[in-house]
Amino acid sequence: MASLRSTSRLFAASRPLFRPASFARSYATVEGTKNVEPSPSEKPNFKTFKVYRWNPDTPAEKPTMQSYQLDLNKTGPMMLDALIRIKNELDPTLTFRRSCREGICGSCAMNIDGVNTLACLCRIPTDGAKESRIYPLPHTYVVKDLVPDLTLFYKQYKSIKPYLQRDTPTEDGLEFRQSPEDRRKLDGLYECILCACCSTSCPSYWWNSEEYLGPAILLQSYRWLADSRDERTAERKTALDNSMSVYRCHTILNCTRTCPKGLNPGKAIAEIKKMLASN
Amino acid sequence: MASIMRPSLLRQTPASTRSLLLRQNVGVSQAVNFHASARKQILPPLPQSIEGTMNDPAPLPKPSPVHGSYHWTFERAVCVGLVPLSIAPFAAGSLNPVMDAVLCSLLVVHSHIGFDASITDYFRPQRVPKTHALLKWLLRGFTLTTAVGLYEFETNDVGITEALRRIWTA
Repeated sequence: MASLRSTSRLFAASRPLFRPASFARSYATVEGTKNVEPSPSEKPNFKTFKVYRWNPDTPAEKPTMQSYQLDLNKTGPMMLDALIRIKNELDPTLTFRRSCREGICGSCAMNIDGVNTLACLCRIPTDGAKESRIYPLPHTYVVKDLVPDLTLFYKQYKSIKPYLQRDTPTEDGLEFRQSPEDRRKLDGLYECILCACCSTSCPSYWWNSEEYLGPAILLQSYRWLADSRDERTAERKTALDNSMSVYRCHTILNCTRTCPKGLNPGKAIAEIKKMLASN
Repeated sequence: MASIMRPSLLRQTPASTRSLLLRQNVGVSQAVNFHASARKQILPPLPQSIEGTMNDPAPLPKPSPVHGSYHWTFERAVCVGLVPLSIAPFAAGSLNPVMDAVLCSLLVVHSHIGFDASITDYFRPQRVPKTHALLKWLLRGFTLTTAVGLYEFETNDVGITEALRRIWTA
């Protein structure tokens, strides 16, 4: 499907920029058929994709890197397009998560050319001579191929109680309102899609993931600490005040560097440390 | 670390061939074992599975500000305090034994906290309890030795600031 879409986009790009005025004034309901086959002069731009493969059905076999060759001229611009095309046309056994293909679901988080990112937001480097290497998120248990086991990540998310906790109702019985200034404090926090790119890029989280919460969960923690409507700020702070949950952060800032949504988990952790220090 | 204490290189070799290998060609067998990934592991392998489902919240450690926020604030204060203390004696050009003593004690505390954090990060008690305890005590020993050494140097010799100045101008 994606390959069909990308091919049509390719033809759209080769359409002449300026048409004769007579054509422009008439209704064009059917696209001309002269461009269906790519012109023979257009050279294919092959690129090698090396993809991490491991099959749970044969657990004794070691994980391998499998190479796939794709013509970039027939592939969409993003890594996810390439992966979908590999799955559709070359190897249907390749397994990966994907859903929205526009960077809002966080399913296709993986390690591409050494950087944790969303495949749907990562452009394929057009240099065909260099191969691209695609791995699952580092330091996670692999379910299959590019699918990591994020159970621990979700368990930790649940442990910080990521929901509004409030006992007193509002005076008028309507919704809990907040001033524009208070709302602005949540900007840069609520956009997090929990793709786990930052947490799995953090060396501290690699070593101590059982107890250290990791940048993504701490950003969410701060999102609820900073919320003016929440009434359990003290309890939330107490829960985090131990040697492991927050203080395994050594401001390495891989999290901020890798975040595909451009957020700043490092700053959120610093804010939590400030809040805890001023107790 | 742990591999030194565990005969992990020979873990999966049958007992009959083990003595043979040891006698014949230890180097080759070790190289072969090293390249088989299961034996290359330095630390014992992780459990390879996560307990519970994603709907069970992960247990948070008990709150203890002494190891959490107080510790962090203290550590930052020591860090910040070290900056003027290491500049002031040279800037002022005067040597004050009290300032020297404060600088030395802060240095000892600062390095102890730093190494302690490394041990906590890399040698977790859940994974390598013996190595963790050994390193903790080793660090305490080193810190004590450093403290005693600095005390001796301050009381019986010229002191750390003067020593640095002499090295600088030598």
